[in-house]
Amino acid sequence: MRASGRHLALIAASTAALIWAVPFAWMAVASLRPGVPPDIASLTPSGPFNLGNFKEAWTSGSFPLWYLNTLLMCGGILAVQLVTVSMAGYAFARLNFPGRDWVFSAFLLQLLLIPPLLIVPNLATLVTLHLYDKLLGIMAPYFASAFGVFLMRQTFRSIPRDFEEAAMLDGAGVAVLIRHVLLPLARPGLVAFAIVSVTAHWNEFLWPLMAVSSPRNQVLTVGLASFASGAEAGSAWGIIAAGTFLVAAPLLVLFLVFQRRFVSSFVFSGIK
Amino acid sequence: MTEITRRTALGAAIAIPAAAAMARTALAADPVEIDLFFPVPVQGKLADKMKELIDRFNAQQSAVKATAVYTGSYDDTSLKTRAAIKAGKPPGAVIMSANFVREYVINGDVDPFDPIIEKDGKTASDFFDQFWPALKPNAMIDGKVYGIPYQNSTPLMYYSIDAFKDAGLDPDKPPTTWAEWIDAAKKLTKPNGDRWGINFPCTYDYCGWLTSAFVMQNGGQYYNHDYGGEVYYNAPSTQGALAMLDTLVNKAKVMPPGVSDANACTGAFFAGRLGMMLLSTGSLSFVRDNMKSPYKVAFLPKSVRNAAPIGGASLLLPKGNTPERQTAAWTLISWLTSPEIAGEWSRFTGYFSPRKAAYDLPEMKQFMIDHPDAKIAIDQLKYAVPWFDTFNTVAVRKAMEDQVQAILSAKVTPADAVAAAQKAADDLLRPYVEQTALKAIG
Repeated sequence: MRASGRHLALIAASTAALIWAVPFAWMAVASLRPGVPPDIASLTPSGPFNLGNFKEAWTSGSFPLWYLNTLLMCGGILAVQLVTVSMAGYAFARLNFPGRDWVFSAFLLQLLLIPPLLIVPNLATLVTLHLYDKLLGIMAPYFASAFGVFLMRQTFRSIPRDFEEAAMLDGAGVAVLIRHVLLPLARPGLVAFAIVSVTAHWNEFLWPLMAVSSPRNQVLTVGLASFASGAEAGSAWGIIAAGTFLVAAPLLVLFLVFQRRFVSSFVFSGIK
Repeated sequence: MTEITRRTALGAAIAIPAAAAMARTALAADPVEIDLFFPVPVQGKLADKMKELIDRFNAQQSAVKATAVYTGSYDDTSLKTRAAIKAGKPPGAVIMSANFVREYVINGDVDPFDPIIEKDGKTASDFFDQFWPALKPNAMIDGKVYGIPYQNSTPLMYYSIDAFKDAGLDPDKPPTTWAEWIDAAKKLTKPNGDRWGINFPCTYDYCGWLTSAFVMQNGGQYYNHDYGGEVYYNAPSTQGALAMLDTLVNKAKVMPPGVSDANACTGAFFAGRLGMMLLSTGSLSFVRDNMKSPYKVAFLPKSVRNAAPIGGASLLLPKGNTPERQTAAWTLISWLTSPEIAGEWSRFTGYFSPRKAAYDLPEMKQFMIDHPDAKIAIDQLKYAVPWFDTFNTVAVRKAMEDQVQAILSAKVTPADAVAAAQKAADDLLRPYVEQTALKAIG
C-alpha cells in the first residue's frame, strides 16, 4: 500500500517536473537555432545549430552593466531585509508589548496588497527622498518584507526557549542573543527567505521599469525587454530565447550549485 | 502638391537655423536635460538605433541634452508615463501609441503644442499640413495639436507568389474586392491545413485594428472620429464586416479557426502554408528579411470603399514640464520629425514616415525604387482612415474584440455579436458621455 503510494507520488512528481522542464528545454533548443526557422516550435529540430543568437543578444544590450545592476539591486535588498526581518521577526516572536498581535496582523495585511497598486505613491515617495531614477530607489520599497517578518517569526518561535535562557544565564544581552544564539539556529529560515527574495527581485520587471529611467541604472529584465518584445512584427524567437537564457542562467547555476541546501531549507521552513 | 512640398521644404530650412539660434542663446547656460520615453513596438535593433539618433542629436547642438529611455511595450510606456506625471517627474517627451493621445487629453495629462508652434510663426493647421492628412484625427483633438506623428503604419496584404501560381492565380493581379479575395482564398486553400487561403492576427489590439479596417471598407465609420463617447458597433456596416469574417472561417473555411497571433501568421507564411496574410506595414522589414520564397504586397481589398486604418506612435508633451523643458523637448521633437531623420527612421524600421517631405529626398526616392513593397504601403495612404480612439480606449476596443474572437471560434452569430459589443461599449462609455454629451445644461 505504502509502496504503491510512493510510486504514485513519484509518477506525479516526474510528470510535473517534465511539464516544468519543457519550456526550458525549448528555450535551450531555440536559442541555438539561427534565423527564423519555420518549425521553431519543434523540440527536436534537425539543425543547423550555432551560438549566433547568443552573440547577437549579447551585443544588442549592455549585459555586463545589467548583471552588475541586478546583482547590486538583489544583494542590496537582501542585505537590508535580512537585518529588518530578523529583528522584526524576533520582536513579534519573543517580545511582549501592548498591541503586538494587532501590529502583526497589520503587517500581514500588507501581503494582500498587489504591488502595482502602490506604484504611484511609491514613486512620489522616491521623488521626495531624491531616490527617483536611482538603483537605491528600486530597492527602497522592499527593505521591509511582510513575508520575511512572518517567516522569521515562525522560525524563531520554533526554536526552544531553553537556548536563550541558557545564554541569558551566562550574561548575554538581547543583541548577543540574537546574533550568536538565535540567528545561527534560524539559518534555514534565512536561506529560504533569501532564495524567495532574490528570485522575486531578479525576475521583477514592472517596478524597475517605473523607478529607473537612466540607461546606466537599468537591470536585466528591463534590458532584455528592450530587444525581445515586439508587438507589430513577428518575433525572432532564437534571439529572445538566447536573451532569456542569459538572464536566467545565473539563477539556474546558483540553484544547481546549492540545490541540496535549498531543498533542505524549504523542507525545514515548510515553504513549498 | 508641389506648392506644399516647397512650403514644407522652406519650413524645414527655417526650422533648422531657428533651432540653432535657440541653441546659441542658451549656450552660456548648461544644456537642458530631458528624457525621451520610447517603446519598441517592433523587434530588432530599434532600441540601439534610437540611442544612436539621440547621440547624434546631442552632438549636433548644445542647448539640449536628451536621454533615450526604453520603456517597454506601448502599454508599459503609457503606465510609466502616467506614473511619472503623477509623481511629479514627467519626461520631456514621450513616443506614445497614437490612439492613446485622446485619453491623455481627456485626462488632462498632456499639454498642447499650439503655443510653441505659434511661437515659430505658424498656425497649428499649417503646421499639420506637413503630415499625411489621415494622421490628423488621432493627433489634433478639439482643434489643438497634442501629438506629433513619428512612426506610422497601416495594415497591408502580403501574398505568396508561389502559392498564387500553384493555385492558378495571377500574382500580378491580387484580389481587390472582398468577393475576389474570398474567391482567391478558396483556390489557395488546401485540405487538412496544408495551406490556408487567408490569415491575420486577431490577438487584442491587432483584432480591433483590422476589424475597424473591415467595417470602414464596408462603408462604416466604426466610431465617432471627433468625439470619444460614441461607437457604431451595431451599425449595418459593422454587422456586414463581421458576417464576412464568419464566412471566411466558418462557411468558406479558408481561414484557420480560432485566434492566431502575428507569429503564427508569419511562421505559416514563411513555411508556404499560408497564401495571403494581413499584417502591419511595420512588419515589412521583418518579412523582407525572413521570407525565402518570392512574395508581394497589395492594398487591403475593398467592399464599398478602400480603407486602411493608421497605426503607430506620436510624440507627446507630458503635463508638468517647465516652459524651458518644453522648449528643449520641442527642439528634440522638431529634429526627430525633420524630413531627413523621419526618412532615415522609416527606412530602418519599415514604418512609413508621417512627414510628407521625407519622400522628396533623394535617398527616400531611391529606397522606394529598391523596395516596391514600401512604395505600395505609401500609395495606400490615400485610403488611410484614423485609428480607433475613445474614452477608455482599450476596454471599449476589447468589447468588440471579444465578440470578433468568438465569431472566429464559431461561438456567436454576427447579429448577436454586434448587439453584445454595442451594449458592453455603451456601458463603458457612459461615465464620459454623462459628463459631456448628456450633461444637463442650465
